[in-house]
Amino acid sequence: MTTELISLVVNGEAHQVLVKPNWTLLDVLRDELNLTGTKRGCDTGCCGACTVIVDGKTVNSCLMLAMKADGRNILTIEGLARGDKLHPIQEAFIEKGALQCGFCTPGMVLSAKALLDENPSPTEEDIKTAIAGNLCRCTGYIQIIEAIQAAARNLAGSASRR
Amino acid sequence: MGGLSVVGKGVARVDALEKVTGQAKYVMDLKLPNMLHCKVKRSSLAHARLLKVDTSRAERLPGVKAVATAADTPNIRFGFYVKDETMFAYDKVRFIGEPVAAVAAIDEETAEEAIELIKVEYEELPAVYDPLEALSETAPLVHEDIASYQAGFSAVKYRNVCSHTTLKKGDVEEGFRQSDFIFEDTFKTQVVHQCSLETHPVLAEIDGSGKASLWGVSSMMFPARELLSQALGIPMTKIRIQTVHTGGSFGGKVGYIPLGICLLLARKARRPVRLVLTRQEEFIGTNPRHPSIITLKTGVTSDGRLVSREARIVMDSGACAVDGPAVMTNTATSAPGPYNIPHVKVDARCVYTNKQPFGAFRGYGHPQAYFAVESQMDIIADKLGIDPVEFRLKNCFEKDGSELPTGHRIYHCGLKETLVRASAYISSARPASAENKRWRVGRGVACMLMESGLSGSGAFVKVNDDGTFTVITGTVDVGQGCSTVVCQIAAEELGVDLADISLIAGDTDTGPYDFGSCASRVTRAAGHAVRLAAADVKKQLFELACDRLEANIEDLELRDKKVSVTGSPFKSISVAELATMSIFERSGPILGRGAFLDKGGVPLSERVSGYAKSEGPSLQPATVIAEVTVDTETGRVRVLRCVESQDVGRCINPATMEGQIHGGVVQGIGYALTEETLFENGRILNPSFVDYKMATALDTPQIVPLIVEELDPTGPYGAKGAGEAPIVPVAPAIANAIYNAVGVRIKELPITGEKIFMAMKKSQGGKE
Repeated sequence: MTTELISLVVNGEAHQVLVKPNWTLLDVLRDELNLTGTKRGCDTGCCGACTVIVDGKTVNSCLMLAMKADGRNILTIEGLARGDKLHPIQEAFIEKGALQCGFCTPGMVLSAKALLDENPSPTEEDIKTAIAGNLCRCTGYIQIIEAIQAAARNLAGSASRR
Repeated sequence: MGGLSVVGKGVARVDALEKVTGQAKYVMDLKLPNMLHCKVKRSSLAHARLLKVDTSRAERLPGVKAVATAADTPNIRFGFYVKDETMFAYDKVRFIGEPVAAVAAIDEETAEEAIELIKVEYEELPAVYDPLEALSETAPLVHEDIASYQAGFSAVKYRNVCSHTTLKKGDVEEGFRQSDFIFEDTFKTQVVHQCSLETHPVLAEIDGSGKASLWGVSSMMFPARELLSQALGIPMTKIRIQTVHTGGSFGGKVGYIPLGICLLLARKARRPVRLVLTRQEEFIGTNPRHPSIITLKTGVTSDGRLVSREARIVMDSGACAVDGPAVMTNTATSAPGPYNIPHVKVDARCVYTNKQPFGAFRGYGHPQAYFAVESQMDIIADKLGIDPVEFRLKNCFEKDGSELPTGHRIYHCGLKETLVRASAYISSARPASAENKRWRVGRGVACMLMESGLSGSGAFVKVNDDGTFTVITGTVDVGQGCSTVVCQIAAEELGVDLADISLIAGDTDTGPYDFGSCASRVTRAAGHAVRLAAADVKKQLFELACDRLEANIEDLELRDKKVSVTGSPFKSISVAELATMSIFERSGPILGRGAFLDKGGVPLSERVSGYAKSEGPSLQPATVIAEVTVDTETGRVRVLRCVESQDVGRCINPATMEGQIHGGVVQGIGYALTEETLFENGRILNPSFVDYKMATALDTPQIVPLIVEELDPTGPYGAKGAGEAPIVPVAPAIANAIYNAVGVRIKELPITGEKIFMAMKKSQGGKE
């Protein structure tokens, strides 16, 4: 198979990766860049565990061919905190107990981030719709929804103080 | 018990930070130098004689480093309850998806290609898929040699029946004569999959001495090591199983066959081997929930007293017994429900078919039983015109001293309290939604009682020289939060903050034996062992401190990393100083040990036969009240609200406990309404999340967890097991709510819109 060199920015760092045509963005993140926080749960775009943010929009990275990621700007769970300072969504997930096994958590947090970036004061229904593509088998989603609500409040509070 | 400072608090999980930052490592995230990738060749037929497995072309494919088949194993049959399993099929294949061979290659693509090059010659045999057909004298036999198979209990087995269990108390015929009304109903439950978001992964490495290190997701590491040792003839000193983070289990991640396959390949290739099941393999090749057919015949008096119950249970075990005999024992035990019934007779058979072997899934036989039991309770209450909650309260077990049908007496049972609490909440709450002509609202109740806990757990506690502590346990956190709970227990006993405890868990070499994360046993058994080990450390610290402080041991207390004299806070010595003193001047490092056996009761032998378990030592009672709305035009159901009250004994961590209830309710909604693995001639038609519908955030109703704390003195701080109960009463509560809304009774899970629509059409047709 012919390989191709792609360039992409992941969590602010520029990378060049030699990829095969059948590789997905998920393959590149996990296997080439060792960013294993992005999970592989189904490989068919159903579970959302591989959710990353590409140019501001959530993407199931198992469905995006690596070559399509050429020139794109990607945020994975590893890039969300600033050093030791967690993102307010991460803080809220801890505080509200919004995780159990943690396997869906990276994708869930990034779906929440994409939502709150676009809609800082979502309704409960907006939140449920935004994470409907992220399956969780442990939590029943309740504490996740509460965490996203809390994060929205905290983000609004810090924005108004600025 | 007053003055608890860490136990009873909803502290943040000890693993939360690494999980929200993506740093938590799961087995599929681990890589070793020179690691190979494994793929499994699986049977394409449901039942066939295996004539030849030709791996020569696969072995010649560049990049393939090892191929394993049954020829690489001693072909010893093994299993938890009936020894009927092998690592690879060797005489016959018995289900579609059964491992026939496996390949280790330099990458996944090469391994996949090699799998296609393995040629399997079969002689197809007639297969049996329906458990009732499998019971007939003329049905094809799934295991011809069943009589010679060993079993870990006094199993009654014959033809396709891998376990036949009976229970008899009183005289049911006499009971029916004393009854004013007799009800007979048959209920069916479906196959549902655990659907952990992480599929089964294994990483295996053999070191220079021949010792296997296995990183797997076995929720039962020590029993898995035992089975591997038996199946492959390897001593336990040569097998080390370790777990890292586990992406959910719900009973499904037992995983000894994938562990064994990787071990064999790593040994042959002399390189590390990693296997990660695809989602499709997870659906076809692992052990989901047993489907069942349950007939209940129940006699009652006109004033609502249960008098007599006869239950006939047929449980489909699939191609091997796996957990079937014990799951079915639970179904049999639960068929009389948590009710005082003078006359009881249960006949339960666990039957082989040519489908994937079914296994352990949260609730372990109780969800099947309670769908039947609690649906019929409402059928009876409706006929007698009695309020469903009143009817249950009138018949259900008392807090102390009630007798299970097997003869075991129960104590500290908060079942009535859960019924009272849930119904009080719902009657004081506003209705979930106004109904209109098209959407009808209904409310349904169901309760349940299941046992929890079994077998032993050990723990060690070390004192570090700075006065902090390290807990070593054999338990595994599969996501439910037991790492946090055992650390809370240790911190409480040792009088320190959670931050002063470090935990080592999930390693069969460093940790003491632990039966595993199953049977709602971890908080009770592992938690209790940790508490005892911490108490042992405390005693040793007091013995060291009493001379220095010139005080009696009984006047000492341990708090904030200091031993001090009660009432004289200035007379104290730090744990750090005591630890250092012990290491250099006294008896060496301070090591605490704790061991706990969650001992059950033995059922009365004159009442039972073929039982695969003893009575559980502790109880998990719960009640669910569900509110639904049903579309009278399409039959579509939306669950609006679920109130679940559960008696958990001492609630060690309310936040994680509520998480268990939320998760159990939503899994229960899937069981009730949408989830089903569909088979056609032994082939699964929907092995993906596209076609297997588990609940999303949009399906989540309002959930109200109500925690009842009826302390059980046999558990740590009075704690009971609690992880499995939440799912159990959900499906019958929803079935009862649907009946309440639109007057149709669906006795087969899942209760799809189509079934409701057809039933409504039929009942309207009947009236016209």
